[in-house]
Amino acid sequence: MKLELLLILILFLVGFWGIVGKNNIIKKIFGLNMINAAAVILFILEGSRSGADAPILGKEGLHIVDPVPQALMLTAIVIGVCITALALALAVHLYRVSGSFDIDRIRDKVHNEN
Amino acid sequence: MATPKTRFGKIWSKAGAVLSVAAIGFVLFPIFLADNPWPVEARDYLAAMGQAETGAVNLVSSIYLGYRIFDTLGETIVLLVAVLGTMSILSRVESLVDDSPADDAGKSGADKAGDALKKSGGFSLSREKRHSHTLRTDLLEAVTGKIGPVILIFGFYVMLFGHVSPGGGFQGGVIVASAIVFLTLGNPGAGTLLSNTRVLSTLETAAFLLMLLLSSSGLLFGQGFFGNPMAGAENPEVYIIILNAVVGLKVGASLGFLCITMMGGHK
Amino acid sequence: MRTEDLVFMTIMLPLFGAAIAFFAKAFPKGSLTSKILEYGGAVVGLVLPWWALIQLFGPVYQGESFSGVVGGWNPALGIFYRFDGLSWLIQLLGYSVGLAAYIYSVGAGPRGPAFTGIFLIQTAALSAAIITTDMFNLFVCLEVLGVTSYVLIPTSKKPGASLAAFSYLMVSASAMVLFLVGTYGLYRLSGSLAYSEIASAVQGLSGTDHRVYLMSLVLLVSAIAIRVAVMPLYGWLPDSHALAPHAISSVLSGVLIKTPLFALSRVLGLFVQGADVGLLMSYAGAATALVAVVLALSQSDAKRLLAYHSISQIGYVVTAWGTAISIGANTQAGLVLMTAAYLHALFHAFFKGLLFLSVGTTVDLAGERNVYRLRGAARYLRAGGDRLALTFVTFLVGALSITAIPPMNGYISKNAIGYGMKGSFLYLFLTLAGVGTVASFIKLSRIYWPSAATREEKSVEPAAEKGNAGLGYRLTAQFMLAGICVATGVAFPQVLDVTGRLLSGGQVLKQPNLYGSATLLKTFYTALAGVGLFMLIQLKPMAHILHVIRERPRSFQGLFVSFSLATAALALWLLY
Repeated sequence: MKLELLLILILFLVGFWGIVGKNNIIKKIFGLNMINAAAVILFILEGSRSGADAPILGKEGLHIVDPVPQALMLTAIVIGVCITALALALAVHLYRVSGSFDIDRIRDKVHNEN
Repeated sequence: MATPKTRFGKIWSKAGAVLSVAAIGFVLFPIFLADNPWPVEARDYLAAMGQAETGAVNLVSSIYLGYRIFDTLGETIVLLVAVLGTMSILSRVESLVDDSPADDAGKSGADKAGDALKKSGGFSLSREKRHSHTLRTDLLEAVTGKIGPVILIFGFYVMLFGHVSPGGGFQGGVIVASAIVFLTLGNPGAGTLLSNTRVLSTLETAAFLLMLLLSSSGLLFGQGFFGNPMAGAENPEVYIIILNAVVGLKVGASLGFLCITMMGGHK
Repeated sequence: MRTEDLVFMTIMLPLFGAAIAFFAKAFPKGSLTSKILEYGGAVVGLVLPWWALIQLFGPVYQGESFSGVVGGWNPALGIFYRFDGLSWLIQLLGYSVGLAAYIYSVGAGPRGPAFTGIFLIQTAALSAAIITTDMFNLFVCLEVLGVTSYVLIPTSKKPGASLAAFSYLMVSASAMVLFLVGTYGLYRLSGSLAYSEIASAVQGLSGTDHRVYLMSLVLLVSAIAIRVAVMPLYGWLPDSHALAPHAISSVLSGVLIKTPLFALSRVLGLFVQGADVGLLMSYAGAATALVAVVLALSQSDAKRLLAYHSISQIGYVVTAWGTAISIGANTQAGLVLMTAAYLHALFHAFFKGLLFLSVGTTVDLAGERNVYRLRGAARYLRAGGDRLALTFVTFLVGALSITAIPPMNGYISKNAIGYGMKGSFLYLFLTLAGVGTVASFIKLSRIYWPSAATREEKSVEPAAEKGNAGLGYRLTAQFMLAGICVATGVAFPQVLDVTGRLLSGGQVLKQPNLYGSATLLKTFYTALAGVGLFMLIQLKPMAHILHVIRERPRSFQGLFVSFSLATAALALWLLY
């Protein structure tokens, strides 16, 4: 069993705990970022075990790593950033209308207004 | 309502959280600890043929601007939509600022932190708030104003040399975006042309349209959509360089726009 | 132009339309140039693709399919796509409902270049999601679909819509991270991202590798099931569909929850374990159909009631879809069921879109959404400019369709599903759900009943103030959909035949006889039972039970607990 993989799994689960167990919506967004980061780290780390050099050609005798995970994760990271930005904007809006970052209080407030 | 205000409700909700973390952990455990050898067919193929087929020495950019450019287009679209959405939500928030609810009773710590941030204004760009900001000092303005153009040039370097060295459109674009933020912070008066959100938004749209045109350009050369129109020509990397520049502009304008919007400086 | 390029026209034209519409932002608001650019973009994005669809119909009707690698790149790394009858049908669904909803939004809002562009991007992503056969590309398409919904839902400017969008964002973005982990697991096992390559690589795995594969499949399926809103994972849907602008509600309910389902059928059809997943999904679907209809019956908000019905109707689709996959999507019986599932998805998109738009117009003009309070809505319609109360007519068409009264299209698709499911115990669930549907639509249609008590009390002024806000556009869209509902119901032999041929790759399927006396009798009894159920819920104790159901605790956390437990349950189902 590889220790680093276990650590990534723990990182993921801590992030998931942040989403499920915390009431503060900003912490929930942090949690979302953490699980996204864990997935990215996992993909990159495991993909990098297939070689020793960066996937940039030009020299002889290179033993490059698999570049596919890196290209895919580039996409995943950008998408993660976008989702975070949007979530934060929604969080700000919810704070303005309810005066709280607590998900239950927000729900109460919003529910009463409708 | 469903607010778990009672002690029992709190225990119940923690139990639910523990349960769901355990359930997800159970499913993820085998995947995270998989130890079968990493498949290398794609790597070997790329090492042999990647440069010849796309012209890019940097194999990562040969994938996201060549073989899988369709994904990249989708990704830039996510960015575009997220920026527009953030912009529209935040501009709605501004109209609410004055009449935000003021009951302080029973606020949690996080809410108080939110209040503190509201008072200090953070890095907010809106002019009337500027003097009360604890985080915007003269030092900050002098440094960011001077360093901004240098970072901008570095961003363009990373963007344009993405096909031969680490970097590319996305990385360069992010650096350009940070340069835009620096320039905006460093020129608190009128700002530069790049801190005008109208300019940035037009730039973004233009880059998006260019990106679409470039991905359709293969049509004219018989490759169909998303093909490299210069494949088989003497230097197919020209296409990669152009795409890197366009993606970089798009990302730089989008993220710059996003940051300026979040700091309250959009027009 | 090659036919393969036409396939991508259905994705690229809306994107070009979006780019054109975004340029309208550079011009002053309301100026002629900006209007031309915005509506020009909409025409490019929503009308021109029909030309491509018409061109493509011939080949797919003959059973041809186009597949290959996007851009002609090497298959070792490129993105595989496949355009066949299924893709054509889903695109038909997307473009028809999309066009009607857009016309409605021109009258009713939200308006503006940004909205138009995002709407077009959503349509393009729908087209792309059904064409792709690449796992990571599907991830990107689903993210685009997701991000457009998170942005479009709060455009109604209600605080509740922001909360709904936030809940949906959190649960669906977390699910997409799990989808990514699943993609990782499959890439690690197979070294490829194309469905077919993965499916052939994972055959005959054993030991830990097999477990990795199963868990990856579980993550992919549950991440998509969130989007489809089957039973334990439906929690995000009612609020977001109820509080979104009406035009968006109709697209979300009509198209967005179905496309991922049919995209998933491409994946499941290839894997051996796909049949097991299909079976479990069909159980979940039947439970969904029944439970959601009970929840719908208890609602007081008109649009939320419709949103729960979307869940219930998607339950029908998932039941038929799951059963079709579990008995093999290429067998004769499987194809007939798949045809029924698709038709119900298509018809549901038409009639639910119609219902959302009609009810939307009504509640806008009346200024009241509560089913218990709003009465005599026809009066408000007349006062608001709809002199002949045409909205009531279109509502009636939609209500008759969803309750499966002949000759509307709902009758066709529900009975086609019933025909295929006959003999299964799930059939009972669906029949009971049919009864509940009738009852709750009687309840909803009460908003149009004249009421003597309110006639004097409430003046019609609030409605008159708004004037006829784009009523012409609204009615055009409503009549478009109502016309389709009636036409597809009347011309059902042709519709069944064409759909069957497209889904089976050119075969002629033996279609059920839908106007047999037994079927008609069953419809009659269902309607009767529905009326009975409606009478029943008027009684005090029943009304109290419904009140308890309506005010049942719902929390953000519940979304995640149900999601993770459902994922684990699916894993256990596949493991043992």
